[in-house]
Amino acid sequence: MTTLQAPVSTALPAVPVPMLVRLAIIVVICVALSLISPAFATIDNALNLLRQASLLFLVASGLTLVIIGGGLDLSIGANLTLCACLSASVIKLTGQPVAGVAVALGCGTLVGLTNGLLINRLKIPAFLATFGMLWVAQGIAYWFMAGQVIYGFPAAFRFFGGGFWLGVPVPIWVMLAVGAGCLIFLTRTTIGREVYVMGANEAAASLSGIPIARRRMLLYALSGFAAGLAALIYVARLNAAEPGIGEPLLLPAIAAVLVGGTSLFGGSGSILGTLSGAVILTLIVAALNLLNVGSAWHPFVTGAVILLAMLTDAFAARRAGH
Amino acid sequence: MRNKITVTLTVAALAWLGSSHSTLADGEIVAAFTKNQVDPHFEGVRAGVEQMAKKMHATVRQYVPTKPNNITEGMSQLEDVGVTKPAVILFMPIDPKAQLPTIKRLIEGGTPIVNYNDKAGDAPYLSFVGEDDYKLAYDIAKTLFEHLGGKGNVVILEGVKGSNTGDERKRGFDAALKEYPNIKLLASQPANFQRLLGLQVMENFIQQFSDIDGVLSAADASALGAAEALKSAGRTKTAVVSINGVPEAVEAVKEGSLLAIAEFNGFKIGCVATEIGLRAIRGEKTPKRLLIPGAIITKANFAEWLVPYDKRTCPTAESYAAGQ
Repeated sequence: MTTLQAPVSTALPAVPVPMLVRLAIIVVICVALSLISPAFATIDNALNLLRQASLLFLVASGLTLVIIGGGLDLSIGANLTLCACLSASVIKLTGQPVAGVAVALGCGTLVGLTNGLLINRLKIPAFLATFGMLWVAQGIAYWFMAGQVIYGFPAAFRFFGGGFWLGVPVPIWVMLAVGAGCLIFLTRTTIGREVYVMGANEAAASLSGIPIARRRMLLYALSGFAAGLAALIYVARLNAAEPGIGEPLLLPAIAAVLVGGTSLFGGSGSILGTLSGAVILTLIVAALNLLNVGSAWHPFVTGAVILLAMLTDAFAARRAGH
Repeated sequence: MRNKITVTLTVAALAWLGSSHSTLADGEIVAAFTKNQVDPHFEGVRAGVEQMAKKMHATVRQYVPTKPNNITEGMSQLEDVGVTKPAVILFMPIDPKAQLPTIKRLIEGGTPIVNYNDKAGDAPYLSFVGEDDYKLAYDIAKTLFEHLGGKGNVVILEGVKGSNTGDERKRGFDAALKEYPNIKLLASQPANFQRLLGLQVMENFIQQFSDIDGVLSAADASALGAAEALKSAGRTKTAVVSINGVPEAVEAVKEGSLLAIAEFNGFKIGCVATEIGLRAIRGEKTPKRLLIPGAIITKANFAEWLVPYDKRTCPTAESYAAGQ
């Protein structure tokens, strides 16, 4: 398997290393864990870990598109929270999961479009616009929930988080579908290729006729849509929506994108990289739990892995002569 | 002239009485600190504070960080009350070590403080109002072990390591384990009082261990996550117990997905801390330490904890005085 190559190279350090390196990391961790615990190397456990990785991947997928396009979306966690709370409330009120799904996806997309508008029309840098949106969305969620938790959803809805189809957990199917969609979008469509160009050099992209503002709106809308979708899976999996549900997810999502080899400066990266990043981060937590390492060490180890990934990318870039 | 003097003196005396009444027995500002807006336990605390303050004719200002358990915001809010000077502060720490110097400064500056919910280190507080985390954990663990007939395999979902609440609850679980030699502890992992971590740590335990008879959780949220993981793995015979007693968890006891909960009642803590704080600043004698006993919530007695906070009635400090 080869990594997706950006059409325009950048002088920045985060040039993607071959996917093989990341796959090798996954294999090494899996072999080590299998030696530690015989229960690790089972189909059931693989599905269990992939289901955990799928939740992280869904949040990170939309973020990957935005970052490749040269932007940043810090509002994904708060957006997820807002979508989760609103859709949970609608499902409880109407008893209609379909209405909840519509509210989550609509709310997520709307928040994403608002981010795009703030950046395009008011010329607010992406970091600031989405950081502001983080507080607004989280604030609305706190006000709406008033410290309460909404719980107990219909079985048909919970199937999307806790159910199985053909023996595989539904969130994994959703992850595969979203991954395939993003892969096709980035590699097989003109707009997808334009996103790489835009992320690598916005001025050049603009001069070559790429409608930057429209593309940006699309990317933030997709990021918001992904947050809405992730919200549904989270609520269905936990059978509860709480106002703190999305807040701890932002940094792990950024970590999954970076460990996956996507440059924070835009123009390069891949959705398969983010998938590998989500799996690696999930495996690390599983390994720390298996080794009985306290949670206080988890951020340290995760940070070390991110730094290692950055260093590997920088080394690969230097070797490639960038 | 004499009449004028009499009327003036009477009005002045009434005015003085009125003002002394307002400063000593009515209308005080109570600044109540809680740690976040996401945990229903703290919603219970706030409801208890509001109800008791209303009953005692005081006004409440709630201080809650906008980001859950954010120490920077918590510090800023403490500095704010140093300026606004409420009549009394009800304080629970986000980080006791970081906040203790500011707390001491506030007390030295003349602001009385009641420490409630979790211990906030040594300072001349008016009182400490809370529960005994060690005993709650010990009692609920024994409830589980007795349910298992004194033998079986259990796992622990710990709280936040290093936090007073998390450490005390873990210590209580360990103490009960020592008394039951045929109960085997398979693993103990932090779930940080969180639902998602509770779910994911439990999912990993399910893969690791084919036979888990019981789960000891340090909080309702992680217990509910664990119960969800057990349900989707078809391990419905595993008994889960926890500590807190928020309405959702009590519903789970009613439905049978949790076996029992040791009550850590935010509403009662909020009520009693407010009462003690106000009585102390009004010159009444109050206890320096009041531990509210926690009941074991089971299928036999859950109804009391399903009553919404706004329909509950505050207990008084006096009702717990005998047990201290």
